[in-house]
Amino acid sequence: MYLRLWLILAALPAAFAQAPKNPFAQDPNAPENGRTVFRIYCEPCHGIHGQGGRGPDLTRGNYSNGTRDEDLYRIVANGIPGTAMNGFGGELGDDNVWRVVSYLRTIATRNTEPMKGNAAAGEKLFRGKGGCANCHIVDGRGGRLGPELSKIGPQHTVAYLREAILEPNKDISSGYSTVTIVKRDGTKITGIERGLDNFSVQLMDSSDNYYSFLKRDLSSIQEESRSLMPNSYGRLFTPAELDDLLAYLVSLGARETKP
Amino acid sequence: MKRLALLFALLTAAFAATIVTDEHLRKAQSDPSTWLTYGKNYFGWRYSEIDEINTQNVQRLAPRWIFQTGVGGSHETTPLVFGGMMFITGPSNNGDAIDVLTGRQLWHYHKAPPPNLSMCCGEMNRGFAALGDKLFKVNIEATLIALDARTGAVLWERQIADPKKGFTATGVPLVVKNKILVGIAGAEFGTRGFVDAYDPNTGERIWRFYTVPGHGEPGSETWAGDSGERGGGSTWITGTYDSELNLTYWGTGNPGPGMDGDVRAGDNLYTCSLVALDVDTGKLKWYYQFTPHDTHDWDAVADPILIDMTVKGRKVQAVAQANRNGFFYALDRTNGKLLVAKPYSKLDWATGIGADGRPIMVPGKDPSEEGNLACPTLGGAHNWSATAYSPQTGLFYVGSKDGCDIYYKTHQQYREGQWYQASTSDVAPADKRVGGVLAIDPTTGDTRWRYDMVSPQSAGMLATAGGLVFTGDGQGYVVAMDARTGKPLWHFQTGGGIIAPPITYTLNGKQQIAIAAGSSILTFALPEGN
Repeated sequence: MYLRLWLILAALPAAFAQAPKNPFAQDPNAPENGRTVFRIYCEPCHGIHGQGGRGPDLTRGNYSNGTRDEDLYRIVANGIPGTAMNGFGGELGDDNVWRVVSYLRTIATRNTEPMKGNAAAGEKLFRGKGGCANCHIVDGRGGRLGPELSKIGPQHTVAYLREAILEPNKDISSGYSTVTIVKRDGTKITGIERGLDNFSVQLMDSSDNYYSFLKRDLSSIQEESRSLMPNSYGRLFTPAELDDLLAYLVSLGARETKP
Repeated sequence: MKRLALLFALLTAAFAATIVTDEHLRKAQSDPSTWLTYGKNYFGWRYSEIDEINTQNVQRLAPRWIFQTGVGGSHETTPLVFGGMMFITGPSNNGDAIDVLTGRQLWHYHKAPPPNLSMCCGEMNRGFAALGDKLFKVNIEATLIALDARTGAVLWERQIADPKKGFTATGVPLVVKNKILVGIAGAEFGTRGFVDAYDPNTGERIWRFYTVPGHGEPGSETWAGDSGERGGGSTWITGTYDSELNLTYWGTGNPGPGMDGDVRAGDNLYTCSLVALDVDTGKLKWYYQFTPHDTHDWDAVADPILIDMTVKGRKVQAVAQANRNGFFYALDRTNGKLLVAKPYSKLDWATGIGADGRPIMVPGKDPSEEGNLACPTLGGAHNWSATAYSPQTGLFYVGSKDGCDIYYKTHQQYREGQWYQASTSDVAPADKRVGGVLAIDPTTGDTRWRYDMVSPQSAGMLATAGGLVFTGDGQGYVVAMDARTGKPLWHFQTGGGIIAPPITYTLNGKQQIAIAAGSSILTFALPEGN
């Protein structure tokens, strides 16, 4: 995979080797023009304000495939092979790609939020006092009940991550809502919803036991828009510990592209 | 049943030569062994008289064969069945002939689509049409082609519009009076929609009806300045036909640009409308605009089903549609006058339809720079998927998508061939998008029953004299329901999401059900020997 990526990069036009500059860098209208383009072409995946959705949050300014202007140009123009990010260079033309880059620079402000905590201390909390690793896998280690967090860093803002820890019910990741089923004999099972269709339901309980039922064999199915994650971390952690944990989460999956 | 068998024997002989005549098409409803057009009959009913599979035995329905197309992408085909073969299309300019007895491939058609096409929604295709010994389909790059039904050989190909301007084609042609009628897509690129008629032997165009009037023509006054030149009004779903009135009915899509109505003040005729056209000339007989000056992308292309019924004690020749804007409508199909209008899904943009046939608007529902909530969603309360009407129950069957969106607009400069929607929509916060299968009484618009589904319903419908409605769901189940109550009586997991409608036909006298799911075509029948 990496070999193929490098081959593609090597095949890029020679112009890219010369680190092109944004010709609209000094144009005060470029961000607004870029915003118009963004709302039409980029919004479906990155959200109307670039806050992320199906695609990554672009307001952090911490892009996983390079952070220089020419990196952003390359990504918008050519896409990222092997991902859902298509290239838009042919459709938009050079000028509009650069205007989008100008716009992205104006929304990438939240990465300036200073990280007060210590990531190493945060990892200890993650695997120790917080019990986070009981339910979340990071780098191959951890429980299965919650979403894997190995690459969570670039995907969300610090504010979002803070909120996700303190108020886990506010925005539940797809596939991690809670469901309680009651069998005909009265047995009740609660777990995260691993599947739900018109005729069946699948769930995994807090001991990682997997269940699948046909709806006709159940007396009730209760879907709840709440997370199985405890909502007590605001009390468990001191503010300093919370900062440490956030520093650790933000560090996960963040990597710089070598020029 | 004996009469059915006799009819079957006669028709088997008639179709042995793989020939579809004008008379076959006009009498398609009475032939159980074939499925010859998009909607089964010219009225678009998707109803079959076959009752072998019924509410008492459908639980025993079992798969007969599965054909893997080997093509990725959304399969939306309505299969045609005649002459011992099934004809299906796939996305990206693919098509197959399949032996209807065994499911074996007989021939395959493919033409690689040109790269970098400007299109809104993928390279899908919804099926073949047939006449004589030819099949007709559109290709995504806005061409119409004729194939030899027995070999798949290309007989002719005709460019119907310029793909560089953003035109694409996805719908099933409608064969009427030895003409091939086709619609077009591309309203998201500032194109100007139309319905065309072509000669089946030469591919020459016979007439064209533009869905947006030209400068100075009646209706052009409903467009500010020259905005109608980029006015949209696609015709991407197949119309229906009334031979007695000599009219064909086509729904039209959104105006362009979709979200920014400021640049096109006026009603924007004939977008988001139903148009009744003279089949011989393509001239407009009447129109009805469901959503004047639409700003939510609520195309009016869903099946216009023709129903003769009694409304308030009066017998009427009606045309019915479950519109994307959330209202179910029935119109007098002789003159376009409104008979019935009633919401069938959550909507908040109008409080009703007035006596003048215009919606009574709720102010403040247009898209804005900051975003504005409106219901239904941009995809609509019902998008395009095939609907059905059963004369046995008198009910109209439709899949619903219930939800709301935040609608945005922006000012956008038009550039030929470029996306020209002038902004977009986003999922409304905390909006739980659900769906259902609905049975609507077309004489009142009342929903008689609703079967709730866990996600918006996208598959098409089939009604049968066995008292059943067949459909599918996004999770891959093909489902049979009691047409009178909505109770699901049978389901089968196909392994691929379903968008296409089911069809039915007899093979050696036994009823078959066929449907596209994922990248496969599956057929079902009752087990032999029972």
